[in-house]
Amino acid sequence: MSDTEVARADFAGFDGDDASRAVDAGSRIDAAPITAARLGAGIVLQDPASQLVMERVGDDVAFGLENLAWPMATMRARVPDALAAVGLTGFEGRRSTRLSGGEQQRVAIAGVLATRPGLLVLDEPTASLDPYGAAAVFAILTELQSRGEATIVLVEHRATLAWPIADLVLALDDDGRPIAVGAPADVLRRSGKRLEAAGIWLPEGGPGPAVGAAGSVRHPAGALGTFPILELEGVRFGFEPGTPVLRSVDLQVVAGDRIALVGPNGSGKTTLLRLALGLLKPIAGEIRLGGRAPSRLTSLELTRQAGYVVQDPELGFLADSVRQEVELGLDADQVRYAHELCDRLRLPLERFGDASPYRLSGGEQRRLSLVTGLARRPLLLALDEPTYGQDRRGHEALVAALDELVGQGSAMLAATHDERFVRDATDRRVELEDGWVVADDREDVA
Amino acid sequence: MSAWLFVPDVGAEQQESVIGRTNPLVKLGIAIVWLLGLGLTVDVRPPLALLAVALASGVWLGAIPQGVLGRRIAPFAVAAVAIAVTNLLFSGHNTDPLATELFRIGPLRVTAEAVAAAAGLGARIAAIVSIGAVFTLTTDVTRLIDSMVQLGRVSPRFAYGALAAYQAVPKIVEDLATLRGARRLRGLREWDPRLLVGLLVRAIRHADQLAIAMDARGFGSGPRTTYRPVAWTQLDAVVAGSAAVILLMALILGR
Repeated sequence: MSDTEVARADFAGFDGDDASRAVDAGSRIDAAPITAARLGAGIVLQDPASQLVMERVGDDVAFGLENLAWPMATMRARVPDALAAVGLTGFEGRRSTRLSGGEQQRVAIAGVLATRPGLLVLDEPTASLDPYGAAAVFAILTELQSRGEATIVLVEHRATLAWPIADLVLALDDDGRPIAVGAPADVLRRSGKRLEAAGIWLPEGGPGPAVGAAGSVRHPAGALGTFPILELEGVRFGFEPGTPVLRSVDLQVVAGDRIALVGPNGSGKTTLLRLALGLLKPIAGEIRLGGRAPSRLTSLELTRQAGYVVQDPELGFLADSVRQEVELGLDADQVRYAHELCDRLRLPLERFGDASPYRLSGGEQRRLSLVTGLARRPLLLALDEPTYGQDRRGHEALVAALDELVGQGSAMLAATHDERFVRDATDRRVELEDGWVVADDREDVA
Repeated sequence: MSAWLFVPDVGAEQQESVIGRTNPLVKLGIAIVWLLGLGLTVDVRPPLALLAVALASGVWLGAIPQGVLGRRIAPFAVAAVAIAVTNLLFSGHNTDPLATELFRIGPLRVTAEAVAAAAGLGARIAAIVSIGAVFTLTTDVTRLIDSMVQLGRVSPRFAYGALAAYQAVPKIVEDLATLRGARRLRGLREWDPRLLVGLLVRAIRHADQLAIAMDARGFGSGPRTTYRPVAWTQLDAVVAGSAAVILLMALILGR
């Protein structure tokens, strides 16, 4: 049972302190949500964009109230209150599709809060948000928790943010069975080791070694030579005239580089990756991947130069089974390596080989897309939010696999919000903001 | 991103204009009746008259900036001309010995009857496009859906479901771009029927998520109230009446 299913099950069966019932209620998943709102429960899902129903923020917040047949005057008064509670006063007329991910998630929370639910269920609400967005969401949860108006059930991998505000922690293993339940401090003291063994994130500063950095030997910057893999010079890009996404970006990526591309949602990180891979053409400036313009390379030439792990793994799947997906277009040597990667990334083909990629859990899908990206040992591996929804073991396996790739003379360029990943897997930080490179700790940016 | 083009914003100025304040259902009704009315005639004048009225009222009563209206219509206008020219050159009238010959281009004989028919066709396409453009540029989608539910007795489940799906269009366009990129990086052709499988899975996933989110917020669980009441107004009657008179006059013009 995945975390998400647990969250939906919580919805049906959670009754205060009987935590195990929440897990057992899985069979009632489908029938439950229809009446959930009437029962005084609200749910906030992972993906902010797929839970906004109405075009405008105010209408969306009112949507749940309409469904509960609130009188018009009461709704008019309640909507601004609910928006104020999530720090979005005055956003009523804004279009929800134009907001940042963090703002969208706060709108979703406002829409659920508006009905004054007694129970609020959140399924990894900050998984796709930048640190600012995540911090804002957690500030709201802290505020709600301190007011004590609703019981909050939060499914979350970000232990450092989530544990401090929890009264009760329920840890589940891979199969959805409870490992430990209790006050956070007690769980950490009594079962910290067992949680760690199960690959569950613990809040930072708790027991357990720091991840990743241990064991992996870091090559100092440029130790593998200065063989340039990717060069961007004065690159500009925009989808529409007058609204630039990138404005004059310079970037040199050499063998051995592990670059974390950071910055708020919408700062141009994904666009920069796509330009580097030749999937978009710059309006001005020059891009060279292995010395040539990537958009001119044939698809086959491109696969030798670069690999791409997309943000949403499902968009990268091309085959009907995990085995076919892993072996697609590889030679015998690469197939052997891919199989080895599958084992290391906890996707053994004996168990997963015949499954459809679409049927895997979110974390498994993410690891499968990593296998496909790594299998050809590309010179440049571009990753978009590679740690989304990973537990600690997934994180460690990912860091190790990337270390190995870069150690062989490749480079990685990862767009990420995950500070832990930045610390464990990268050694150069390039910060984008509003289409500008505002910081690069390798080169001084004017 | 670029996909936003698919979901045009209707500005406040357009929404508060005379046509903007007219109920979307009335506008939709006018568009349909006008189009049906044009079917009664093959003459070039009625569609040209309605086209002129639509554009003029779009600019003066709908507060649509001329440039915006022009850009919206331009691609379709090109298509209308192309269709008209094709019909002109390959019209059956051109081989009719009884038809009046106007001129010849090499072996091609162009007759007055063919010109009339082609002009009528082109004008009708242009009229349809203009009426559609004025409708979309002055109509807020949310208000259209609200009106359908509250005044048109369309099921809220269907209508608000459709509204939510409509908002997913830009996301799906973006998904397509990502899918193609992923294929290219794996050494496969970017365009392949398999692409649709991935896209379909995504669309279903998205719809599933949305359905859960909507249900979780009590959608369809019983009687609902409305946050944005819509009612018929006098303006609706005036606009509808004027539109009927205009259509009648246009048709008389074509007799």
